[in-house]
Amino acid sequence: MTETMQLGKAGPQGFFGRLRTVVARRTEGRGVALLAVILVTVAFVEPLVLTAYPVSLGRIALIGIVALGLTAVILMGELDLSVASTLALSGVIMASIPDLRLGVLAALATGLVVGAINAFFVAVIGINSFIATLGMLFALRGLAFVISDEAPVSLANKDAGIAFGLPLIGPLTPRVLIFILVFIAIQVFVSRVKAGREFFAVGGNRQAAYDAGIPVKRRILTGFLISGFVSSLAGVINTLERTTADPTAGSTVLLASFAAAIIGGNYLKGGRGSIVGTLIGATSLGILQVALTLSGVQVPVQEIFIGAILLIAVTTDPASIRAVVGGIRQATRGRAKTETA
Amino acid sequence: MTTMAAEPIIEARNIVKRFGGALAVDGVSVSVRPGEIHAVVGENGAGKSTLMRVLAGIIEQDSGDVVVGGNVLASSAKASIEAGISLVHQELSLVPEMTVAENILLGSAPTAVGFTKQKEMKAIAADALKEIGVSVDLDERISRLSVALRQFVEIARAVARKPKVLILDEPTATLTPAETDYLLEMLQRLAQGGMAIVYISHRIPEVFRICHSVSILRDGQLVHAGSIADTTPDKVVDMMVGRELKADLQTHRTSSPGDVVLKASGIRAPGVNGIDLEVRAGEIVGLGGLVGAGRTELVRAIIGADDRQSGTVTLTVNGKTRALTSYQSSVRAGVGYVPEERRTDGLALGMTVFENINLPNRRELSTAGFQLPGKIMQFAQSLSEKVGLRPPEIKREAGQYSGGNQQKIVIAKWLGRRPSFMVLDEPTRGVDVGAKAEIHKLVKELADQGTAVLVVSSDLPELLELSDVIHVVRDGQIMGTLAQKDADEKAVMSLASGEKMVNA
Amino acid sequence: MAKETLTETIAVAEAASIEPQAKQTTSGRLFMWVADNGIFVFTALLVLFAVIFVDGFASLVNITDVFHRAAPIGIVAVGMTFVVISGNYLDLSVVAQVATSAVIFIAVSNVYGIPLAMLAALVAAVLYGLANGIAVGFFKANAVIVTLSTTYIGLGLLRYFSGGSIFFGPQDGPIREFGLGKLGPVPYSAVVLLIMTILLSILLTRTNFGFLVRSFGVNEKATRLSGTNTGLVIIGAFIVTAIAAMIAGFVLAAFSNTAVSAMSDGYDFRALAAIIVGGTSVFGGKGSVFRTLLGVIFVSVLTNVLVLSQISFGYQQVALGALIVLAVSVDAVARKVSKR
Repeated sequence: MTETMQLGKAGPQGFFGRLRTVVARRTEGRGVALLAVILVTVAFVEPLVLTAYPVSLGRIALIGIVALGLTAVILMGELDLSVASTLALSGVIMASIPDLRLGVLAALATGLVVGAINAFFVAVIGINSFIATLGMLFALRGLAFVISDEAPVSLANKDAGIAFGLPLIGPLTPRVLIFILVFIAIQVFVSRVKAGREFFAVGGNRQAAYDAGIPVKRRILTGFLISGFVSSLAGVINTLERTTADPTAGSTVLLASFAAAIIGGNYLKGGRGSIVGTLIGATSLGILQVALTLSGVQVPVQEIFIGAILLIAVTTDPASIRAVVGGIRQATRGRAKTETA
Repeated sequence: MTTMAAEPIIEARNIVKRFGGALAVDGVSVSVRPGEIHAVVGENGAGKSTLMRVLAGIIEQDSGDVVVGGNVLASSAKASIEAGISLVHQELSLVPEMTVAENILLGSAPTAVGFTKQKEMKAIAADALKEIGVSVDLDERISRLSVALRQFVEIARAVARKPKVLILDEPTATLTPAETDYLLEMLQRLAQGGMAIVYISHRIPEVFRICHSVSILRDGQLVHAGSIADTTPDKVVDMMVGRELKADLQTHRTSSPGDVVLKASGIRAPGVNGIDLEVRAGEIVGLGGLVGAGRTELVRAIIGADDRQSGTVTLTVNGKTRALTSYQSSVRAGVGYVPEERRTDGLALGMTVFENINLPNRRELSTAGFQLPGKIMQFAQSLSEKVGLRPPEIKREAGQYSGGNQQKIVIAKWLGRRPSFMVLDEPTRGVDVGAKAEIHKLVKELADQGTAVLVVSSDLPELLELSDVIHVVRDGQIMGTLAQKDADEKAVMSLASGEKMVNA
Repeated sequence: MAKETLTETIAVAEAASIEPQAKQTTSGRLFMWVADNGIFVFTALLVLFAVIFVDGFASLVNITDVFHRAAPIGIVAVGMTFVVISGNYLDLSVVAQVATSAVIFIAVSNVYGIPLAMLAALVAAVLYGLANGIAVGFFKANAVIVTLSTTYIGLGLLRYFSGGSIFFGPQDGPIREFGLGKLGPVPYSAVVLLIMTILLSILLTRTNFGFLVRSFGVNEKATRLSGTNTGLVIIGAFIVTAIAAMIAGFVLAAFSNTAVSAMSDGYDFRALAAIIVGGTSVFGGKGSVFRTLLGVIFVSVLTNVLVLSQISFGYQQVALGALIVLAVSVDAVARKVSKR
């Protein structure tokens, strides 16, 4: 019997060694770091955020639901900018239908249809997903304006809306419960379901995916369907809780959910990232937003914060850092010395 | 030697494949029996990879059949896989962020209601790894594995399909000697188990170590097929390079090199393991070696196009010496670089000839930032004519020219800089014979005018034609240096492939 | 037919390049021609349609109004063309930049006079250009996300400092005069647009900088390997956009003699629509400032036609969104067809 060759790296020794390996391995490292910083800061400055956790949970849930759907698309190396408009449009459609159940179904169907259209342009026509979803962002918002007559639409069944905002299990409102369900569903999908695992291939090495016989176009469709669906879900939740549907809803959520996904370690180029990371990112941002609000910080300033975090997140992923460090190293390796021989 | 079945398991019959107008494979037939390790050797461009891709169904041949187990194969990757042919690519097609087990079963993981059956998948993967005798953590991500390990995982993927025929394309290019040993032993084991193996390689020692038979390709044609026992490494190298010494091409320059212009010491970079190099004014230094030896990495590290781990490079012009650090400053100091991939790195194909020529020369062809169209056109026109661009229409898009002409454009733009040091990486790859000769002439003229020239080439006649001195590189180090009078194709090939020199 | 692997495609390309490119099919070339030049035809047809069928289009008042509305968006669009041609998709933060410029212009000039106001706006514009340019050019981050974040940062800063209030310019004064002034039937703002178009066109086609922007868009690697500091080129492209947005802000403020943070809403996609419809490829490299101007005309006339036809704002947005996607689709399909 021939010996088997041990070519793998020997495991690191000691607790810190192993800890360092875990942190380096996982992409959620930055997200965890940010969350730790935020939690510590908040504990000192505005502890109310932590004691009044239902509010924080609610905010985390709203950002998180959209961010989770976005993550599915980002893992494949695509973008979905239309989520904000899908959210608004779904809400508006739901509120425009008197029958509550029918309204909810119509809203969710809208999300699926939007996802399908996005996938069509990206996978079949071959347009860059950013442009396709950007165009949809505008078009769908327009549609929302049309249907709502450019004004917020009141929900017919207000009682259902109010009931929806009440805690259901313990302190957890339906919004939070749905968020937990979505998280579990997508996490399981991406980690245990074959089609979900293949998202990493589509994003990480698309050519290899094609060569291995993975139905890439179908996977792209699935990703956009997920993103569209959860966005419409968020729209339904939003409308129920506020008992009105605003056609301009969603813009802050767009920003925050991108920030959450990217902080969570999801690479924009695709093929690398984690759903748990998005969860951590959403948690960080949710707590941050609530803390700012409770501290009396106005909305514009909050947006400055989140914008800044997103900017820092997107310029400090390893690829960017490598680019910058490489540039600095080249420039400072020594100015070309000129000596006469 | 185990007795092999008499009937071949796979046969390529008279395969012909053209790309555009060029004949890549010209009526080649190969046959391999179960348990046989069959080498396919030939230089770059001889048609090996094309032939293998035809066998694997990835590309469709123009004529000829691939026959497996007596059945003619439809031309598709799926059909080949189902027929039991597994190809291990030269470029690894693994997904970096998926685990070893998932990569081994990429696209064909066992599922239950859509969920991956983890246990079963890992069992199959473990089986494949055991088959090839490698132990890797199944849950480790590919991105954390060394290049060698990735190569083995790639092989495991091919083996997991339980193929009848395993095709490997230069599998040892990135492996250390110890890892290579391991791979070769593994292949022998697999063959003993009845697998037919097709082994594409330049590396003669390896071929003679494990292969039972060999097919030699040259310029798309089969020049020899037979048992290894009936030939010697020397003869194989002979047949690979051919004995047609076209006298008119061997116009050796008599050069009288001047002072040292470029001096590189202790260059270390990924793929480069400590190299010292000097090029003198008016001298053409050639870098020979096999694909993957580290030549491109070396020259890029020298000019700063890629980061160096260590080593210094100096450029001496008119008595002044300066250290070369970044690529930008190197270019400004008078370095020119004709890259290996002209379509992606060397030219902006969507721009016109004059725009491409203007690109590195823009500062001299403008005032205060404003371009001087008349000057640019004149400059571009004279350079285009000088390099023999046909037709010299400088307003035409670069992408509309043939490969040979495109290369001339690249050379033209650097000629305009009057570089003191010029690097050319595979200057005539994908170039027709006529343009090839013209480019050789240009390079020689460049050296005659005093430029120090460094040429990387896998085309042996070209290397010999151009170089005053040849360094042969292997595994990131210089294996030997040949002066022009001592250099011939066999000498270079022997040093490059690790076979000792036969003529002392 | 078997799929080709990447190496093989390169090998095919290499070998095929021994002979010149194969001739394209006639249908392919026709399609490409339409994709490239369709905009001229469509614009002409649209204007014709509007003059004949749309009531109130051909009146002096309406045409002047079209010019007034087109000018600020047009100025942004011709500036942003630089970013698009460099292959960096777009600059979403023009929304924030225009509003910031307008607010600074009015607010500062009320107290400190016009020259100082313009200077302050210039500083803001350069800061925007640097922030975006460094992030995209040196950090090599995705331009969409970067400019998304700078939009929020910018708008946030603006709303914070301005309190969201509306600023009014003086009832008479140079700003008002400029806003109301006309050169014949053409408002000053449109003249500014024309001048900007000419200047930027010269910048793009006749200077080294413009040349590098185009070259970067066609082939980033080859540009870098020719010895260019590409990071600086990208910073330049974003600064050009920022300065154009700044001027657009002046013009916008002058037209309405007011400034408020929300006034530039929708400028990002309208400018992008104009650029894409004009025929500049969103993949970078191909395009021109004059084409963008044409796209601006098309989009403005279209919007005007929709408004005159009493089509609601919502439908207008749908139309514009669909227009962007359609224009890009045509480009994408044309590329695919021409590769066969």
